[in-house]
Amino acid sequence: MRTLTPALRGDVITGIAVTLVGAVYYIATFWIQETKNIVTPATFPAIVGIALIVLGLFLVGQALYRSRKLAEVVPSGTTSAGRASASGGAGADASEGVVGVESAGVVLDAPEEPKSKQVVLQFALFFIYLGILIPVGFLLSTAAFLMTMTSIYAPHRWVRNLIFSVLFSVIIYVAFVYGLAVYLPVGILG
Amino acid sequence: MDTLIDLGGGFASALEPLSLAFALLGVLLGTVVGVLPGIGPISAIAILIPVSFGMEPVHGLILLCGIYYGSMYGGSITATLIKTPGEVASAVTAIEGYEMARRGRGKAALATAAIGSFLAGTLAIIGLTFLSPVLVKLANVFGSTEYFLLMATALLLASTMSSGSRAKALISIFIGLAVGLVGLDFQTGLPRQTFGMSLLSDGIDFTIFAMALFAIPEAIRNLALGRGAKDVIQSFGDDRWMTKQDWQRSAMPWARGSVLGFIIGILPGVGPSLASFMSYIMEKRISKRKSEFGHGAIEGVAGPEAANNAGVGGAMIPLFSLGIPGSATTALLLFVFTMYGLQPGPLIFRDESGLIWTIIASMYIGNVALIILNLPLVGVFVKLLKMPKEILFSSILVLVAIGAYAIEFSLFGLMLLGIFGVIGYLMDKGGIPLAPSILALVLVPLLEDNFRRMLQISGGSFMPLLTRPVSLSIIVLMVLGIVGPIIFRWWVRRRQLLADVSVA
Repeated sequence: MRTLTPALRGDVITGIAVTLVGAVYYIATFWIQETKNIVTPATFPAIVGIALIVLGLFLVGQALYRSRKLAEVVPSGTTSAGRASASGGAGADASEGVVGVESAGVVLDAPEEPKSKQVVLQFALFFIYLGILIPVGFLLSTAAFLMTMTSIYAPHRWVRNLIFSVLFSVIIYVAFVYGLAVYLPVGILG
Repeated sequence: MDTLIDLGGGFASALEPLSLAFALLGVLLGTVVGVLPGIGPISAIAILIPVSFGMEPVHGLILLCGIYYGSMYGGSITATLIKTPGEVASAVTAIEGYEMARRGRGKAALATAAIGSFLAGTLAIIGLTFLSPVLVKLANVFGSTEYFLLMATALLLASTMSSGSRAKALISIFIGLAVGLVGLDFQTGLPRQTFGMSLLSDGIDFTIFAMALFAIPEAIRNLALGRGAKDVIQSFGDDRWMTKQDWQRSAMPWARGSVLGFIIGILPGVGPSLASFMSYIMEKRISKRKSEFGHGAIEGVAGPEAANNAGVGGAMIPLFSLGIPGSATTALLLFVFTMYGLQPGPLIFRDESGLIWTIIASMYIGNVALIILNLPLVGVFVKLLKMPKEILFSSILVLVAIGAYAIEFSLFGLMLLGIFGVIGYLMDKGGIPLAPSILALVLVPLLEDNFRRMLQISGGSFMPLLTRPVSLSIIVLMVLGIVGPIIFRWWVRRRQLLADVSVA
């Protein structure tokens, strides 16, 4: 695993994850009731499960094969050079954020990656919002959610954050309930 | 002649005040949302689908088509001025357009994009107007065998012609299929892949999946990046729009882009994004000013932008006449049709001919509206680029939550949204493209239904695929479509090798 470039290591992990998902999906087809049709209800799900397993394994194999070829070209120890040639040569397939078509290769800058801890935190806050939306009600939970999100980002501009959070919640609520007749949860205010 | 009468009728109702208002509103709304950094046409439509829930079908569809056009143009503004393409299709604009803006030619870049989009879009709709009725006639000989084949082709092409790893695009398609098969089997009524959860027996709602995949990962990524990542907004530069030379240099790329985009757009499973890439590569190859590419060549904006918009019109043809979406975005539109209880395809031209021609007529209007509204208003739209990121992306999270709530009215629906948001984020991180899975999710019921019917009619034999003339021709084209690019690539590589050898 030491010789793997970050992009190829990512492919190995992705491949394993896809294989596992495929396996779970395939096993779940055993619980589908059998019928006497030519194409049973389980046929398509089984095909999909097996395809995911095969594709996942293919991705792992491809990444390992590429890293071996890379190791042949680049002597071990100069991994940074290997990395550069990986993103320049076969990179269109292997590395993320690089888009290439045919051999003419249109290469775009890779987008900046955020820290995993931050991503988990943002997702956690979003899930809390989704969880309280119905019991607490749209207006209060949305204002609180927006206030939290904007304050993490720009704590010193709390006055602006507060005004935005309250105004946005109220305007959206009025627009959806009175304009589009989509009744949003009233929660504890109801 | 019939077509012109139908189209005339379409214009009569598309020009009614309310229809006209929705077309204009759609274009405006689409541009506004499309300008927001990181939001492309797919996200824009996905976020705005809930808005169309309570509307008359014709108004809802006019609105969403307008949003589609508007968001494409909005995306070009963002790509040109802050180099943040909302989707792959405007990624090449982010190269040349941004360089033009850096050299003070931002206005010319936006103008050539707008005019090219208008010309190509209008040409493509003319093509749509006259080709759809022909295809509808052809579709009458199509049976389940052909439909199954066409949909399988769409999915295969979506994976082989995407930009990036094919294996990963295929994985994306199978993830979409996997999600689409959850729920009660419509033929036998048996639950499938519900993991014992009765709440899953209704299946996973398409809009929730689309919103989760296209809005949440981008929003979370930007929010998690925190401060520091500040976009540099290029100014318009001088107040000249396009010089005479700009017009001369743009004219041919517009024309070539229109034709290329239209043809690629018609292919099932291949969206406009590939069209804009191919156009860029083509313009670069045939240009006499190769050295300018990468440093703000106007051809590199004019061609791809025209191709992109012609591709939209082209992709509408298989959608309207066969009911087969050509791309993720048209898949969203197909979903909206079915949401209103309409099934695009040959029957819709017979049973709902008034509706379909009104929508086609409104596309002409939308294209005109785009250029009338957008060139003068571009200064206003640019102000949106200055919207603080935390405000933009936290608002988007709230909007998708409302959307999910308006669909399921339950905690379960909201949680599904969150879970698919996580899945989308992980897919994105693993380099798996998101768009093919949307296409697959929309196609899976049709794919399976036609597959079953084909085998039922033949008694379990796959022979009809080869014995029916129409299906055989599709297979031949499909093989050419897949083997062709491989041979082409091999040929290019060989030529490069030979060139290298001769240089050495």
